[in-house]
Amino acid sequence: MIILTGTAHMAVWGKWLGDALGTNAAGASAGNALFGIFLSLMVYLIGQWLFKIGKGFFLFQPLFVGMVLGIFILYLMAKAFGTDTATFYKSAYLPGGNIIFWFLNPATIAFAIPLYRRNDVVKKFWLEILLSLIVGLFVSLFVIYFAAKLIGLDKIGIASMLPQAATTAIAMPIATAIGGNSAVTAMACILNAVIIYALGDWLVKFFRINNDPVGAGLGLGTAGHTVGSAKAVQLGSIQGSMASIAVVVISIVVDIVVPSFAKLMGLM
Amino acid sequence: MAANDKVNKAETAKEEPASPILIQMGIFAAILFVSSLISPLFPASFPVPTPVIGLVILYVLLATHIVKLRNVEKFGDFMISLIAFLFVPSGIQLAASLDILKAQGIQIVIVVLIATIVLLVVVAYTTAGFIWIRKNVFHRDVNVDD
Repeated sequence: MIILTGTAHMAVWGKWLGDALGTNAAGASAGNALFGIFLSLMVYLIGQWLFKIGKGFFLFQPLFVGMVLGIFILYLMAKAFGTDTATFYKSAYLPGGNIIFWFLNPATIAFAIPLYRRNDVVKKFWLEILLSLIVGLFVSLFVIYFAAKLIGLDKIGIASMLPQAATTAIAMPIATAIGGNSAVTAMACILNAVIIYALGDWLVKFFRINNDPVGAGLGLGTAGHTVGSAKAVQLGSIQGSMASIAVVVISIVVDIVVPSFAKLMGLM
Repeated sequence: MAANDKVNKAETAKEEPASPILIQMGIFAAILFVSSLISPLFPASFPVPTPVIGLVILYVLLATHIVKLRNVEKFGDFMISLIAFLFVPSGIQLAASLDILKAQGIQIVIVVLIATIVLLVVVAYTTAGFIWIRKNVFHRDVNVDD
């Protein structure tokens, strides 16, 4: 019953829209999922269209456009309904968003397919893969720690930055365990994916990463999670396979290494 | 099928046609269900989420030839092609944490940007280093087919 201010005329329309979106007290329990699904598809499709007419300008990557535009639309609608963005997001967008989000489950296990397609590479380099991910993560943690310190994050902020190489569901509880804020860590994991999706091609070229396809795959899977793996699949079958294995192995490595690293640096 | 055959190194999808899409979805659903039963068995200090277990299970089933590529790849490749879109709700989820962004937002975004690049570059070059060692120190084969 947020929108009953204003004229009676406004109230009727507001109530109708509120019911439809599930933001009114009455509709909140049911939660109309169709708005979230519709909005997600529309902002993503607008992103694809912009990317096409923008001739592939990196800020027009559909995922990035979808995210920014989606948040902006929710922000404006929340203003119109006289509520704050977080509340409006939860009542109007989340039911539909959750349905799309659920499909990340089968999409993640699907990466076993590109992984298995290059099982020859996995069998040949399993030791190098394991060592590279452990050593690479350890080195990265030092850089991330000192970068965060230099930029002036507090202890909670630093601890929240350390587990981001893992998939969100692993990174969040680890962040809490080492004294970080799990919401910030979740945000970092999401931004990793968005950044790799927007800048991945450019970064791979700029740092000449693709000279070693095994390393390119492991790097993309570690830095960009499943979205990085999708990028790696586009680069080639070896890259796709290596990124898929990185998503799994790095998560387990983060499980083990990050709490010890946090102890070493006196964060906990 | 032609597109699948091209990238298909481990097995051929030529002899037998791909499984019907509902069967492929059924295999995914079964793996996810079993994974969701296994996931809570891990201790809270060592979390392993359902989809990660599912990925390992599907890989093991493929490697042991219990599940063939033709049973899962049509649906699996389709899901992978959707992954950027499936991430849109996660991106929009940041709408719920705008207050965190207001407090330390710019610093956090900068650190995450640095962290993403560092993870990509350091892991890629560490791997190149270990493969160099394999080749030049242990004199073992490093060639792979494209």
